This record gives sequence, structure tokens and C-alpha cells, in this order.
Amino acid sequence: MSPLAESLAAELSARPRHFGELVEGHMRTPWREFLLAWGELRAADVLARDDEGRYLIRTSR
Amino acid sequence: MSAGFRDCLRQLEDAGELLRLKRAVDPRHLSALMAQAPQATFFESIAGYPDWRAAGALLSTRRRLALAMGCSEAAVATRFEEGIRRPIDARLVDRGPCQEVVLIGDDVDLTRLPLPMMHVKDGGPYISATLVVSKDPEYGRNVGSYRMMYRTPRETGIDLVSSSDMRLYYQRALDQGRPLPIAVAIGVHPFELLAASYKAPIDVDEFAIAGGLHGAPVDLVRCRTVDLEVPAEAELVLEGELLPIGWTADEGPFGEFSHITGEVKWNPIFRIRAITHRRDPIFYVLQMPWENDWLAAPVIEAAGLQALRIASVEPVAIRAPVGGCCYWTLVASVKKRPGEGKNALLAMLSVAEVKLAIVTDDDIDIYNPDDLDWAMTFRVQADQDVLIVPGARGKHIDPSVRAGALGRGGLPTTAKLGIDATIPEGVPRSHYERLRYFAKDGVRLEDYR
Repeated sequence: MSPLAESLAAELSARPRHFGELVEGHMRTPWREFLLAWGELRAADVLARDDEGRYLIRTSR
Repeated sequence: MSAGFRDCLRQLEDAGELLRLKRAVDPRHLSALMAQAPQATFFESIAGYPDWRAAGALLSTRRRLALAMGCSEAAVATRFEEGIRRPIDARLVDRGPCQEVVLIGDDVDLTRLPLPMMHVKDGGPYISATLVVSKDPEYGRNVGSYRMMYRTPRETGIDLVSSSDMRLYYQRALDQGRPLPIAVAIGVHPFELLAASYKAPIDVDEFAIAGGLHGAPVDLVRCRTVDLEVPAEAELVLEGELLPIGWTADEGPFGEFSHITGEVKWNPIFRIRAITHRRDPIFYVLQMPWENDWLAAPVIEAAGLQALRIASVEPVAIRAPVGGCCYWTLVASVKKRPGEGKNALLAMLSVAEVKLAIVTDDDIDIYNPDDLDWAMTFRVQADQDVLIVPGARGKHIDPSVRAGALGRGGLPTTAKLGIDATIPEGVPRSHYERLRYFAKDGVRLEDYR
């Protein structure tokens, strides 16, 4: 994964976040770069959701 | 040739209803800026996306909807009915501007589009202004509108939880273990979006209804990678297929047309094979909830008028108020004969997911909330004039149907409420004669200033 994708994964491992919260923390990152990194996380199939719709990193399959 | 998205932008601009922003805007700020603008918004420059411009909030008011439809605000339902009554078949043409640029295979990359961030709790950036075309071997072509959430450069989520013809097509393909090819046109004339919003009988081609609204056939081009056709004048087209995975992928939340954030839903995935667009494309951001609401108004109102006429009740006026998101509530005034208050309610409650119907007599101005309250206060006896229909078809995004308790792919039900605010049988109309001031026409206030 790219460093940005790894950074996003680390943020989600720390606590669940809405997608918008993640975006807010990376407003200096070009939007396209952010979306590519998000696509990497999706493709890695590591994302899960909580009841509020926040993303988190799945701990077990 | 029928009018396109750019013709609609011109109409709005000519009427002083389009605001042009010249400074480059980050796609993450498109919706927030549109929400502050009193007019529809045109973004002449998108930061990081030099080939693209964007526009949105085209239909966020009834006035702008009426402008786009070329009629008065009161006439949007009857104008829409004309399109239904006089369909004009679409016309296949050899080429169209929507295919001036063709990206296939490794060149497919959604991140090259200025995908907007819309609401605080959305599950991702959304493509909201979609015209989704699909086909079934038995039922033929279907056109609908379904939101799409970015997942990867070649995949989106799609909201397919509600009952629809395309949901049926997908289920039939899924039963055979096949993907369902779809094509998604973005940046089309509002008439195409209105036709797509209409719950047409399954064998009716929505493009023919759009043609009826235009008064001219909609020009279609064949897609490059799927056996489907899309409006030649579209700004952007995504071609691909719904994967045969059923309702298994997380999608949402999204700022729904009910003005609240929905829940995470379980939905199929759209895998994209090709992206085609104009050489100088404009990305249409359909601003939620207002544009979605107002696109529903003429469709629901026209369906209400039709239902009343089929029930042999004569409608005078009808309104799908924005408080009911132009979808869940219908208010009508009718020329009533004995018993027709209840017949009218039964007809209106048969429309789509309308869950509150109010019917009044033709002396009530249904656009005036005070007049409507007055009718409901003095013409309604709750034990005689209120109708409750339990267990009717509901919609997930209404929190009161408790859709969260359903299994994946489950469909909710709802209770429907009808209020007959017409003059009760046996009460003379003279009992409702409004107060009139003595000599009102004989004196003028100006003469006494």
C-alpha cells in the first residue's frame, strides 16, 4: 500500500471514523491522491463499518 | 434533436438563475458552495481537474424546475402528464458528443473525475445525477436514477435496496449467476431525469416519455462496451456491470432526499469497463436533497392526478409539498360528489410511497397552509374522516419504518394515512360561507390616508 493508504489505515485502527472525518484531516492532500489511497484500502478488503456508518479496520475475517 | 444539459444551463442563465464562479474550486467544496448560492451554480474551474467544469443545484426550487420544464410553477404536473400522454420514441444516431473521449481498460479511472464530497456523514464521494440504463431479455429497456458511491478507481456502490424495475432486472440476472450490464449517463436534460423518476409500467420506455416532454425524440448512441444506449448529448457516461454478488457490499450513509442521513445499506457493486465523455465536459452535481425533491414533485403530482381521474374524481389542484420531500405527501382539492372524499383518498394513497394524503373541496387554496389547516379543523371528524391503511409498501429511508431491523435486501412496509377534509355529507355548503366585511367594495383605504 502507498504511505497515504497506510496512514489512513492507521487512523482507522486508532478509532472508527466517518469518511468525512478522514477527508477533513487530509485537506492539503490533492483530492485525486486521497481517492486513489482510499481505493487501495477498499481493494485490500480491510474495511468494516460500525452502526453509525463509520469505517474501521477489520480485525478478523 | 432534443434539448440537452447545456440548453438547461442557458435557460437558467437567461432567467438570472445561474451563478458563475470563476475561481478554481476543490471538488470537496462544490456542495458547500452550492448550498450557499441563491441560484444554480456553475463552476468554471475545478482545482486539480483542468479538463472539467461543474454545475449543480439546477432544480433546487420549484421556480427553477418550472423554468427547465418551460411552464408555470403550478403547471409542472400537467406539463409532465403531457409527456406521458404523448410519448415519442427515441432515435438511434451514429455518434454523439458523449463519446468524444473514450477511455477503456486500464484508462478507466474514476479519480480523474471531480467527484464531490457532499454531506458530513456520507460514506464517500457520490455521483448523484445518474441516469442508469439497463435491459432485461423479457421486459426490455429500463431507465432509472440510482446514486453511486466511489469505492475504487473502477468500482462504485449503487443504491438498489428499494423496489424498482432495475432491482427486478438485477434479481433475474443474479438468479442466473450473471452480471447485469448497465450504462450511466451523467449531465442530461432534466426531462430525462424526470422520466427516469417516473414509475412507468415495466414495458414502457422512459426515453419515449422524455421524448414526449421534449416534443422531439431523444437521440441515443450505442455504448462502446455494453449492449445499451445512452443520450448522445450527455456530458459523461460510465459503462459496466452490476456484479452478481447480491446485496452484500456496504454502501452509504448518504444525505437522503428525506433531508436526513440514511443508514449503511447492503448493495451490489458497479464495476466500470469504460468511461466516455465530451471533450470539454461539465460534471453535474445533483444537489441533495432539494433537486431530488423537486424532480419528484411533477412525477408524484401527475401520478396523483391520474389516480384521481381513474377513480372518476375531478381534481382541481394537486401539490406534493416540500415538507413531505415532494414524495410522501399529496394534497389535492377536488370537485366533490357524495362519497368522493374517501374515493379520492383511496386513489391518492395508491400512488408510489405516498403515506399521507389530504383531500379538500375546490374552495380551499391548497397552496395556503392556513386555508388547509382551516379545512382540516372544520371539515374533519377524526372518527369518520381519517383512513389508515396498514402494511403498505414503504421506503427504507423513512426512519419510522425501522428498516434497520430488516435483513439484507429486505423490503419495508408502512402504514398510510388519509384525511378527508372535504365538507361532510349532510352538512350544507352554506355552513362554510366565509366572513365578508360590510361595504368592503364600497370604500378604499387609500382614500383615508
